Order: sequence, then structure tokens, then C-alpha cells
Amino acid sequence: MSCHALKVNDLSVWFETDSGRRQVVDHISFSINAGESTGLVGESGCGKTMTALAILGLLPTSGVGVSAASIEINGKDISSLNAAQRRAVLGRDIAMIFQQPGTALDPVFTIGHQISAVYRRHFGGSKKHLWQIMLDSLEAVGFSRAEKIASAYPHQLSGGMRQLAMIAMATVCNPVVIIADESTTALDNSTKSLILKQLERLQLQHKTAILLISHDLAMVRQSCRNVLVMYCGRLLERTDCQSLYSHAQHPYSAGLLSCIPQVSANRPPRISAIPGQVPSATDLPSGCHFAPRCIRVKPQCQQSVPHFDSEDDRAVACFRPLS
Amino acid sequence: MSTPTPPTKPPLLEVRNLSLSFHQQEQVAIDRVSFSITAGSTLGLVGASGAGKSSIARAIMRLIKPDSGEILFKGKNIFMMNSQQMMATRQRMQLVFQEPFTSLSPRRTIEQSLLEPLQHFAIGDTNSRQEKTRQIIQTVGLDHDVLRRYPHQLSSGQQQRIAIARALITSPDLLIADEAVASLDVSIQAQIIQLIQSLQEELGITLLFISHDLAVIRQIANDVAVMYQGQLLEQSPADTFFSKPNHPYSKTLLSFTNNKAPTSLPVENWRLDRGRTTAETTSNCVFARSCQVKMPICDQLEPASHQIQYRNQHPLGPHYVKCHLYEEVNTNDT
Amino acid sequence: MMGGAWRRLKSDRYGMTGLFIVIVFSMVAVCVWSGLLGQGWSDVSGNRWESVSTTHWFGTNLLGQDILQRTLFGTATAFEVGLLVTFCSTLLGTVMGALAGWYSHGWLDEVILWLKGVLDSIPFYLFAAAVAFALQGIPWAMHLAMIITFWTTTARIIRGEVMRIKQREFIEAARAIGLPSIKIIFRHVLPNTFHVLLVQASIVFVAAINTEVILSFLGLGIQDGVSWGLMLAESSQEVLAGHFGNFVAAGTSLFVLLMGFNLLADALQDALDSRRATA
Repeated sequence: MSCHALKVNDLSVWFETDSGRRQVVDHISFSINAGESTGLVGESGCGKTMTALAILGLLPTSGVGVSAASIEINGKDISSLNAAQRRAVLGRDIAMIFQQPGTALDPVFTIGHQISAVYRRHFGGSKKHLWQIMLDSLEAVGFSRAEKIASAYPHQLSGGMRQLAMIAMATVCNPVVIIADESTTALDNSTKSLILKQLERLQLQHKTAILLISHDLAMVRQSCRNVLVMYCGRLLERTDCQSLYSHAQHPYSAGLLSCIPQVSANRPPRISAIPGQVPSATDLPSGCHFAPRCIRVKPQCQQSVPHFDSEDDRAVACFRPLS
Repeated sequence: MSTPTPPTKPPLLEVRNLSLSFHQQEQVAIDRVSFSITAGSTLGLVGASGAGKSSIARAIMRLIKPDSGEILFKGKNIFMMNSQQMMATRQRMQLVFQEPFTSLSPRRTIEQSLLEPLQHFAIGDTNSRQEKTRQIIQTVGLDHDVLRRYPHQLSSGQQQRIAIARALITSPDLLIADEAVASLDVSIQAQIIQLIQSLQEELGITLLFISHDLAVIRQIANDVAVMYQGQLLEQSPADTFFSKPNHPYSKTLLSFTNNKAPTSLPVENWRLDRGRTTAETTSNCVFARSCQVKMPICDQLEPASHQIQYRNQHPLGPHYVKCHLYEEVNTNDT
Repeated sequence: MMGGAWRRLKSDRYGMTGLFIVIVFSMVAVCVWSGLLGQGWSDVSGNRWESVSTTHWFGTNLLGQDILQRTLFGTATAFEVGLLVTFCSTLLGTVMGALAGWYSHGWLDEVILWLKGVLDSIPFYLFAAAVAFALQGIPWAMHLAMIITFWTTTARIIRGEVMRIKQREFIEAARAIGLPSIKIIFRHVLPNTFHVLLVQASIVFVAAINTEVILSFLGLGIQDGVSWGLMLAESSQEVLAGHFGNFVAAGTSLFVLLMGFNLLADALQDALDSRRATA
């Protein structure tokens, strides 16, 4: 049990609205081992970001409800911490890389200042020591002239370089867990690949656990060992990446896979898409939430919720899984 | 599906030697770009962000004025048109943007947004216009009840469908899609690609499809043009391009899509998303700095655009490469 | 969109208090305009400096005029000034700001910015005095002075908004079909500045009432009728003599109305915040 770098147990998030409760994360449980990457995939509005924010405890307190049996980092429960205790954990044990590197960095401070501020907050140290630590972290993400980058302001860097600086900031304290929320979505393919490579390298070095949130299965495949498929706040499938790509079990996972356009020398067949769209959290269909869009739907799907085994390595919440 | 258009067909759109610099930022946006699109076909314009793709789209729509060059629509230079001719031409070409949410007027209903082009071009009367909006809504796969809604009440996929509907409502000949699927989820991206493909089949519309994503280009385009720092580096039929890219930059781009990123490249060398300033000399190859097969000549002389000659294959269309590597092998079967 | 804003406003207790105050005062103003209240403001109905009684709720002034009547009439004056100045300066500011923002960095923008710079650099009360002096005898001199100076803030805000909005793609879409600029500004740009305008207008309204009081106090204010400012001007002598009627009545009314308006403006700003509206 203690071998899990991150273990989330029975996490739920909901919004309190005038028209009642809107469940956005619905009793999910998962765990990530040290040194492993897990992808959390699903369409926008499936509760991926809410899951991340709930783990970090960054959700606003008014209008939003969060409950969890436990959220453990290296066996230590962080779900019951108060605000001050949580701040001590954020950045040191668990760090987040956001989607927009442009807005996640403060434009009035240099990159170096912002990175060393994170380290100083948790470990302190002399100015010289901080500076060295900061340079090391910049070099670790692949900058060969770290000093120059350190003295630059965010707007002087390109989007890709800013995102790397964000990664340097997230890794400066050697956290146990990094959550990357769509952190390469806004970038070009080429930059995206390079950044994922750097993240992978860091992970190997420091045995960090990474939760990679994305709607892009192609990217998750590139850099994750395990994958969780999420839809309307529920986990639908958990498996390792290889088997997901060779034979996805849940029709939703299969549908997501078929959406990815492929580059090939010969003209590829017409792309196929999942019909319909994600239902809004205010009127979720009963039974399996995916049933109305599913091609393999049967009457049972609309009446009862398929069981999702939270202990097994491979699990699928479906009455008629593909095999 | 991929039937090559016969080369005898006149191009619907022809861009000749188009150049544009943004003087305030002293940045070269478009540098002597020439290409043409045959009626009914799709040209995929690919390149990193900041390569000047959007500037070309905006120049064609006459939203920005280029410094020099010609844009011919159906054989007529759009910069020489009088306002009446321009009005008629504007009706025949439309643009779809990247961000579905910001491309719709937030305080106008979907119906008002869709009716606007019809009213502006004085197409039909009130009844037929309303009929037309209902039709187009169906064509893009939505229900009539979205007509009364506001953009923020729709999902991003629906918004993008509306943006496409607005572009199609005047039955244009040319549709320019500027990163139209880039900000969408893969699942919605697939839906929109499907929609564009089927619309093209139904309506025989000509498409300039701008994207940084080669996989998406592969799905849609008949021809591919690769852009880098304002210049076109390679232009070829899609099938040729994806089986045998010639320019080193094209090869780099393709290698990234196959998920094989070179780790050897130091980060500072990714100047892929940096523009070029007007002060920088153009006496060299623009790609020389990042090129892995750079020769001494690349730093000294700007290569010309060569047409690759094929001895054995029957070409689907001309294949141009702007690289010194191909000067000598010009006549060889590459 | 507006429905959501109203719902948010309704749940804001301070905002609703402000709205209530504003409504009460504006009803008083309407009653004065329609001749139901405050008509006896100039009648001498008692002795000088009578104290509070059932006939004179707030007492009388130096000339024996009823202070309540004068306060009520002053409310109408305040609204008259507020509405007129707000309407004209907002209209002027919107048009100027929209033109400057739409043609930003062009010559029209330069001219408007220069004009705004000149007006903003003149000390306001000096300028108002100059205008009032130049237009001596014209009853609207004070209003005009305020309109000429107040539009600049609105114009600056609208200019910024327009510059931001005109980069949105729906504007390009409108330009792509060849819609003329003026249509784009009025149909697509300005409706999206509505929430800023509403808040700004409420701020101008408060400033106008405030300024009227100060200008009247200085003797540069309204020429005809009575206002809270004139009452306060009167009271400056009376307070020394121990008569607080004018001072309390006009001061309290001014304070309550301005506070109501400020509460409402704050609540409006929150309720119309487009970020919250889209969330």
C-alpha cells in the first residue's frame, strides 16, 4: 500500500447550483506507482481537471463540494490537511503543470526568480545555493544556457520554452507526484514531443509519479505506461497503454482511439468519430453515462451502472465490453 | 476520394509572389509566396505557429494588405477590383477560424449571426433567408432549436459547426479553414473533419486548410504546402509528400508526427515558433540555422524553388522544393 | 446572459439595498417633476430658522422657507444633473472611444487622444469656472462643463474595450464579408461593451451629483431652483449660528443617495462580470 506514490480513494466533486447538485467527479479511485506515468484521458468536460484540482485541494470553497476517503502521497493522507499544511505540501510533494504557460508564469518576475521562490518557500537556503539549484533545474529540462533563461522574463520566451520553464519550476523541489494538465495541448507537435521527452527523462532520474491529463490519446500513448479513461466524472477503463491501443475494451476508449488522425504514406481511411457530445452535468443519462452515444448499447446499459473494479490492474465499466 | 484533379482545370485561387511584413514588429510574415488551388481540391498549408499561415489567409480575405504580390480569384486580381466586384468576390470566399467561441458575436443569437451574411449580400427575401438558415443548420448536423440560442450556450463543437455554417451560408466557392480544428478535443476534431469532408463532397467546395498538424492535413488535403518563417519550402501532392518528403524541414515535421523526437537538439535551437525580423538578411536559406544537413552554400545563398522532375512516376501535380540539396539532383529520379 | 446577471444581482444584499435607495430617490424626483412634491420650495411659509415641527419637518431656513420642500426639490435637481450629464457624456465618450479604439494608432485616434489629454490636464474646477463664466446667463453652463470633462474617462475605457474586442475573430468574420466599419462598431463591438458602459455610467452619475454640489457650493452651480449644493452653501453660515437644518437635510440626502449608487455600481460590476457570466 505504501508503494503508491499517489493513491486516490473514492474522490467525488460536485457543484452546488440553484438547480441542485451537479456531480462532476463521481467516486473515483486510482493509484500511481513511483516512477510511473498514468494518463487520464477523456473529452473536455469529463471532470479531468476537476480531479486534478481536487487532488491538490485548489478548488474554490464556495459552491463546490469535495469528498474523498483518502488522497495519499507516499502513504500520507493529504485530504484532511488544513490550508496551511496543504501549502507546505504543494510544490514540495506534489506539483502541477498548467495548460497555459503564458498565464501560469508571473510576467513581472524573471524565470529564475520564480523558480527559486518555489524552492525557497519549502527549503530555504542561501541566495547562492538557491541560484545554483535553480540553474540545475533549468539545465535538467534541457536548457544549455540556463543563466540566460533564468534572467529572462516570461514574455521573452516562446511558448515551448515557457512550458519547459514551468516544468523546471515544478521539478525544482523533486516532488513525489507531478500533475500535468493538458500541459502540451497549446503547443506544436514538434515542441510537444520534445517537452514530453524531457519530462520522461526527469521522471526516470527522480522516480517521480506523473498524472498526465489530456484529451489526446496519441500523446498519452507516447509517454504513459498506464491509462485511465474518464467520462462524465466516472472512470470507464483502466489498463496499460499497450493493451488499450491493441484492444481497447470499453466502446468509449475504442471510439476515442478511432478519432486520432494518422500520418501515413498512403491516404488513410476516412476518420471515424463518436457521434453526439458529452452530456452536461445537469442532465446526465441514467445507467451508463455513455449509453446514448454507444454503438454497442443494450437495454441494461440505460438502467444500471456497470461495476468498475477499483482494485484490479485492468478494469472496465461496461456490460458489453469489446474483447 | 483522392482522385487527382486534371492539371488542365484552371485554378480557382492563385497567389503570386505575395509578401507582407508587419512594420510595427519589424517582422516578415509572408515572403514571396506563390501557390494555386484547383477548383474542388484541398490545399493543406502546414507549418509551425508564427510561420505566416494565418497572414496568408487574411491577405486572401483582404483583411490585411500585403506589401506586394497578386492574389487571383477566378483569374481576377482581388487588389484591382472595384468595390462592387469585391462585394461579389467576398460572397464567394469565406473563412473559418481557430477559436470557435470568439468567432461568434457573443451578444447575438445564432440565427442573427447566420442571417447577417445573407442580409449583407441581399440574398433572398426574409422568408427564404430563414429557410436557408434552417437548411444550413441541418447541413452541419445541428437541430433548429440552436438558432435561438447564444454562443455561450453551445459546446465548442457546436460553436465550430455554427462558424462553418455561417461560412457556408452564402454558398462560397472557396473556404479557408484557419486552424479550424486545432483548439478542439480529438473527438470533436474528428467530427469536424468528417463534416468538412462530407461538405466538400456534397458541395464541391475548394478548400485552403491551414493547420500545424500533419495528421489532420493527411486526412483532408490533396496537396500540401509547407511554410517556414514566411516562405514556402515545399509544395507537392499529398501522396508524394507523405511518402517522400524532400525538404529537410518537411522531414523534420514528419518525424515529429511519428512520435520520434530527436533529443539531441538543444532547446535553444527550436526556433520553430519564432518569426524572422525584417532586419535579418534573406541572402541565406531561412531554414539553414536549424537544418541538420546544412551545407556551406546554405548560409550564403538563398535557394530557388525547384520543380522536382519525375522520370518514372506519373506526377499527380508539380512538386516544388526550395533547397540547395535538390539543385543537382534536379533531373534525377529522387 | 442578462438573466444571469439579474439573478446574481438579486442575491447581492448590498446591491439590492443600493437599488432600493436609488429607486426611492428617483421616485421622489419623478414626483417633483410631475408636480406632486416639493412645489413649495420657494414659498416663505414660516419664520426664519424655525426648528423641527409637524408643519416644518426639517425646520425652515434664513428666509423662512421649508427645508423639507427644498430637500425634495433638490433631489429632482440632483437627478436632473445626474441623468443629463451621464447621458450626454456617456454618449459622447462612447462614440469618441469607439472611433479611437477602432481606428487605433490612426490620425483620428491621435486627435481624440490629444483632445482627451488636453481636457484631462486642466484642473477641473478651474475649467468649470471658466466655462461657467464664458457661458454666463446660460442655465446649462455647469452641465456643459461636466459633459465636456466627464466623457474622457468613458472614452478611455471604451477605447480599450474596443481595441480588445476588435481582435476577436467574430469581428474579422464580419470584415470578411465586407461589412462597413460603422456597422461593425454598432452591431458587433459596442453591444459587447454594454456591461462596462453600465458600470461606468453609474460612476459618472455619482460624480455628476457630487460635482454639482461642490460647484453650487462655490457659486458656479445651478442658477435657477434649489439644489443640495446651494443648501449646503447656505448652511455654512448657519452652522456657526447653531442652525443645522439645511446642513443635516442636504448632507444626509447626498450621503444616502451616493452610497446607494455606489453599492449598486459595485454589485453591477460583479453581476455583469463577463468572466463569471461565462463560467
